[in-house]
Amino acid sequence: MLDIKKIREDFPILNKKILNNKNLIYLDTAASAQKPKVVIDEINSFYSNNYANVSRGVHTLSVESTFKYEDARKKVQKFINADSEREIIFTKSATEGINLIANSFASKYINEGDEIILTVMEHHSNIIPWFLIRDRYKCKILFANIDSNGNIDQKHFESLISEKTKLVSITHLSNVFGTIVNQEIIKLCNKEDIPILLDGCQSAAHIPIDVKDLGCDYYVFSGHKLYAPTGVGVFYGKENLIEELPPYQGGGGMIADVSIDGATFTDLPAKFEAGTPPLVEAYGLGVAIDYVNELGMSEISEHEFRLTNYALDKMQELDFVDIHGANKNKHSIISFNIKNVHSHEVSSFLDVEGIAIRAGHHCCQPLMKHLSLNSTARLSFGMYNTEDEVDIFINALKKCRDFFTK
Amino acid sequence: MNDLIKELYQEIILDHGQSPRNFGECNPHNKSADGHNPLCGDNLKLTFYINNEDVIEDIKFTGEGCAISLASASLMTEKLKGKKIDVAEEIFSDFTNLVSGSSEDLKVLNEEDSLYALKGVGGFPMRVKCATMAWHAFKSALKS
Repeated sequence: MLDIKKIREDFPILNKKILNNKNLIYLDTAASAQKPKVVIDEINSFYSNNYANVSRGVHTLSVESTFKYEDARKKVQKFINADSEREIIFTKSATEGINLIANSFASKYINEGDEIILTVMEHHSNIIPWFLIRDRYKCKILFANIDSNGNIDQKHFESLISEKTKLVSITHLSNVFGTIVNQEIIKLCNKEDIPILLDGCQSAAHIPIDVKDLGCDYYVFSGHKLYAPTGVGVFYGKENLIEELPPYQGGGGMIADVSIDGATFTDLPAKFEAGTPPLVEAYGLGVAIDYVNELGMSEISEHEFRLTNYALDKMQELDFVDIHGANKNKHSIISFNIKNVHSHEVSSFLDVEGIAIRAGHHCCQPLMKHLSLNSTARLSFGMYNTEDEVDIFINALKKCRDFFTK
Repeated sequence: MNDLIKELYQEIILDHGQSPRNFGECNPHNKSADGHNPLCGDNLKLTFYINNEDVIEDIKFTGEGCAISLASASLMTEKLKGKKIDVAEEIFSDFTNLVSGSSEDLKVLNEEDSLYALKGVGGFPMRVKCATMAWHAFKSALKS
């Protein structure tokens, strides 16, 4: 069992008072996680003691920086159980990771009439890059339906697969429903020999990840949702696959040789890391991974799963609350509406109670349209949340209902 | 109950949010525009008719949104109906100042005005866009 009281002491922001001197109850970790003091301090220390650019100079500081940066890559590799560090590319965000694979993959493999399969519950960051590819290569983007629980409709998904399918790109853990993709979907892609990209923005922070067990070919996640700084994301690709792909961006650090006639490119992973990378942020991600590992990803996951079910049970007792896709397969994320009250009202009301939740379309407008919703409210958990906080949240929902629908 | 919430959601806001006035499409109309808040997906369609004397003879809106955006649109149509365009533009700039927290130099709006009820939005910066969505639609319709 995690000692949540002790964990909470590691997060300085949890002492903050909101508006009317209310204790902060942070239920918006799916948007971004708060940072433990060790991450904040280590970033400070890096800038104060070791900072220089990486992989360039031969002086002491450059060596120290490079060592710290590459050490972070090893930590990420182990964290998702990739075969090699060469498979770990640091990006500025998960979004950049998807743009990277979309552009590199398409320039090599996508032709007019080819098809890419997504689902209707994807985040805009796993839709828009593919729309841009569609416009450039005249390919088609197909959207698999979901069922009422927020799981992919497997039959519909299967029906979309054909010899035209070049890639499948889907969320691993839905940022609206909290549902985890059925392993059968991945197996099906493997069986059909269709490359599959998992958007791991939510999953990397909430469940242990083993990319080999999962069977995905590509995986992206962002650091900031995993208690690390903003500005760093990870793109993972199987070595034999990404070795074949052309670079995504050009710049310093990714070349083997340049003349006025042209250039040759360096090896993995630097081939995909043009320009000065987010090296301090990547280091911060490594520190966050150490912190998470020390507590145990499985323990964190269990705690959050228990908390999600605790909240679900309590919310289902409230007849004025609609939960979207209420089922026990949810992890860390619950989207809901108070009947006849707009999610913005709910969020503003909770805000003055000290409670931070998300309101809006969650960057999932196609899903909102699919569900015929304008917007939803969403609570999401991190390792630092407690049952007491859920109780206060539930009580605030009742007050909110009373205020707006009296 | 919390004062901040009470100030944000005054009785008149809740009333107009729940039963917006001038809800529908204006026929005939010679100006129209769509308002959209990309932050949340709220949207509205504004239509109005300007006569030969530059007076807004009729103005209506449809759409979906939160109480703040609906109330603001509803109060806006009430306020602008019958106004000359140049006055309406002054009201627009007063209103945008009011909800962004600078209520000192207002030209035409005063505290007696129903639109003053939206002043509390200034305490919630992320909600300012909710309050101004209809107004920006009005402004862009004028330009169209």
